[in-house]
Amino acid sequence: MAKEIERAGITIVQMANLVPVAKTTGANRIVPTISIPYPLGDPKTPEDEQWKVRYTRVGAALDALETDIEDQTVFKVG
Amino acid sequence: MDKKAIVYINQFFGQVGGEEAADHPPEIKEGAVGAAQALAAEFAGDITHTVICGDNFMSSNQEEATARILEMLEDIDFDIFFAGPAFQAGRYGNACGAIGKAVKEEFAVPVISSMNEENPGGEMFKKDIYIFPGGRSGAKMREDAKKMAEFGNEILTSEGPFPADEYGFYKRGIRHQYFRPDEKTAAERALDMLLKKMKGEEYTSELPIPEVDRVDIAPAIEDLSQVKVALVSSGGIVPVGNPDRIQSASATRWGKYNIAGMDRLENRASEGFKTIHAGFDPAAADEDPNRVVPVDALRKFEEEGRIGKLHDEFYVTVGTGTTVGEAARMGQEIAEDLKDAGVQAVILTST
Amino acid sequence: MKLELGNFPVKEIEFGEQTAYQDGTLTINKEEALSVVYEDDHIIDADLKIVEPGDEVRLVPVKEAIEPRYREGGGPVFPGVTGELMQAGEGQTKALKDMSVLVVGKHWGGFQDGLIDMAGEGAKYTYFSRLKNVVLVADTDEEFEKREQQKKNRALRWAGMRLSEYLGRAVKDLEPEEVQELELPPIADRICELEDLPGVVLVLQPQSQMEEDGYNDLSYGWDTNHMLPTLMHPNEVLDGAMISGSFMPCSSKWSTYDFQNFPLIRKLYEEHGETLNFLGVIMSNLNVSLEEKERSAQFVAQIASTLGAEGAIVAEEGYGNPDADYTACLVALEEAGIDTVGVSNEATGRDGTSQPLVAMDPKADALVSTGNVSELIELPPMETVIGELEALARDGLSGGWEDDEELGPSVREDGSIIMENNAMFCGDGVTGWSTKTMKEF
Repeated sequence: MAKEIERAGITIVQMANLVPVAKTTGANRIVPTISIPYPLGDPKTPEDEQWKVRYTRVGAALDALETDIEDQTVFKVG
Repeated sequence: MDKKAIVYINQFFGQVGGEEAADHPPEIKEGAVGAAQALAAEFAGDITHTVICGDNFMSSNQEEATARILEMLEDIDFDIFFAGPAFQAGRYGNACGAIGKAVKEEFAVPVISSMNEENPGGEMFKKDIYIFPGGRSGAKMREDAKKMAEFGNEILTSEGPFPADEYGFYKRGIRHQYFRPDEKTAAERALDMLLKKMKGEEYTSELPIPEVDRVDIAPAIEDLSQVKVALVSSGGIVPVGNPDRIQSASATRWGKYNIAGMDRLENRASEGFKTIHAGFDPAAADEDPNRVVPVDALRKFEEEGRIGKLHDEFYVTVGTGTTVGEAARMGQEIAEDLKDAGVQAVILTST
Repeated sequence: MKLELGNFPVKEIEFGEQTAYQDGTLTINKEEALSVVYEDDHIIDADLKIVEPGDEVRLVPVKEAIEPRYREGGGPVFPGVTGELMQAGEGQTKALKDMSVLVVGKHWGGFQDGLIDMAGEGAKYTYFSRLKNVVLVADTDEEFEKREQQKKNRALRWAGMRLSEYLGRAVKDLEPEEVQELELPPIADRICELEDLPGVVLVLQPQSQMEEDGYNDLSYGWDTNHMLPTLMHPNEVLDGAMISGSFMPCSSKWSTYDFQNFPLIRKLYEEHGETLNFLGVIMSNLNVSLEEKERSAQFVAQIASTLGAEGAIVAEEGYGNPDADYTACLVALEEAGIDTVGVSNEATGRDGTSQPLVAMDPKADALVSTGNVSELIELPPMETVIGELEALARDGLSGGWEDDEELGPSVREDGSIIMENNAMFCGDGVTGWSTKTMKEF
């Protein structure tokens, strides 16, 4: 899916927990999330903690969209 | 063998002429004409017709040429279609592949061709039709035609299966399970392979890792504050009623849902959004869909001016068990929609 | 550790007055056997059947397969599960060979349950089609999961184990026809005699991805979700330390019978002292999050390195995101300088063109492949169905469906079926049975 959108010339970042899976499918910009069932907010943590995780990781994804890369890149999150 | 075949060849092998006759429009003749006779010598059935078309005519009017040939074949009863051999000739290889693919799709008969490994037509069409590795030039006509005809005889008379390594055609990226006639168990095969690997001897992996299909990296966005950003997800987040009936696994459908004016995605309990993805525990996503499709965070970035605008619709499907073909089609459809909407950047979330 | 496995080949099974084994015939007192099944109040209806290879019988939904055994001294065949915790893999255990106990739901099936045909084209797809089987077909009052796609099948699976132990007691006082001695001395004691042979470990990744109790494979009764990779003696696996879970599409699953007879372990035993030095089993698991997957892979590579392994075989129970655990483990071992071979199935889709594993790495360059989970299989009706055929279509079995735009329903009115290989009971034989491989077509 990421590939087809990128093929159309749209800059795309994939946020995924299973980075090896995203890498295998050929995504170029990858930002890790915290888990499969809750990528952006662990229900076991307080609301404000979840918000922080989500805001930071989505922020990292926005940074990735603005970053020039040469090869497939997994962006580190803070 | 009571089976009928049709052969496709170009103007040169159809004895119409050389390069000067390359614009020759498609025609159909009865019987095995020109090089088709090399196939007739080995094919156990009957070659009832030969289609001849100039290479240039095919490459510059492919759609028209294909349509005309399909029409010619419409009322003819045949069991198999041969195209070529095309050797190293690029235009001819492409023609054999294109018409072979169209015939297979239209008439559901096996299509067999032969091309040299340098012929780009092989790489392009090996997934669609059976293509045997062939010689560089017509000097190998008899040999190449024989391979095609013999496989034709086999495919028309035996039930198969027809593994590529046994029959010799180019691998097509189509993998199916196969019972080993020698009944060698996985345990025995694993041990053999390990002992060979440890000794540095040659072995054959049963699952060669395919190369990752890469796309050109899209350029970085210079300034996101001037850009419309869209959210796409394979996490199955849909309005509670699942209006597009997206499947919970092996999806063939996708949906787009309006979020204009929403600060966040409301949850399942408030009749907002839920997940229909079958591959994980849905509790966390149902309780707060923003954990999967972060509308709330992007609204904040929009408000802060970090991004120009969050696109009014988000796009969604389910990733689990979806075939590569279906995923590619849905990806293309979504990409088209995004382009029409003027979206320049996408965040894709997956579960 | 030394295990003496006493084998009692079963040539015939019949119902009779007294449960006993004599000259290859296992006679079962049905009433007495059923009373063992009914010891659990949750079993509300139960019957026993006998099926043999060649019988025109279809079994569905099949939940479990177990080899009947007796542990000398009377201890539990499955320590920590059917009785107290004790060491498995040591001493004497007696086994009824060439047969299994199959557990079949009388009505309700689920994602993890499968199908067995005892005759015809369908019989080539599962190992259990070639065994003589005592079939427990039963229903329970576990209302909470009756309509759930994922079922724990607790009452039925435990009833199957009780029944197997009951049948095993038939050979309690008898001399086995053949005794197999399975012995691997402590690793430190082997250095001299096996110096020249490369050390090899077997790495197992049993299914452990459910966070909730009751679904995962158990190790001495302990949920494999809650463990880190650990070193086990192969005898423990063969002697009841591991039991199957109730999760994962069925063709990928390892039944308890598979653990008890693990062909990869048996093969490594055969080669031990001949071509290699079998160092043991690293029992790993399969996880949900990336960090868990990577942690397990790291532990496996560390244990293998610490043991001085030069070679490893990794087997994966499952497909889909567990492929990430599988590939991570193969890569970690290769990066530790250990020559590694993997054994798994693939998911190339009905048309055969999908990506075989969801995560792949070129370092995984020696793989054995045992089948395609999505392969379409069409089978004619069978004279007799044990269980309920409709379960295949109705209950969300991984290889069945209620209706399909192109293919229609999995179960047709005349009793013929169309399904994905996914629903073949333990059909991909990743433990080493499989004579299937994958080829390009």
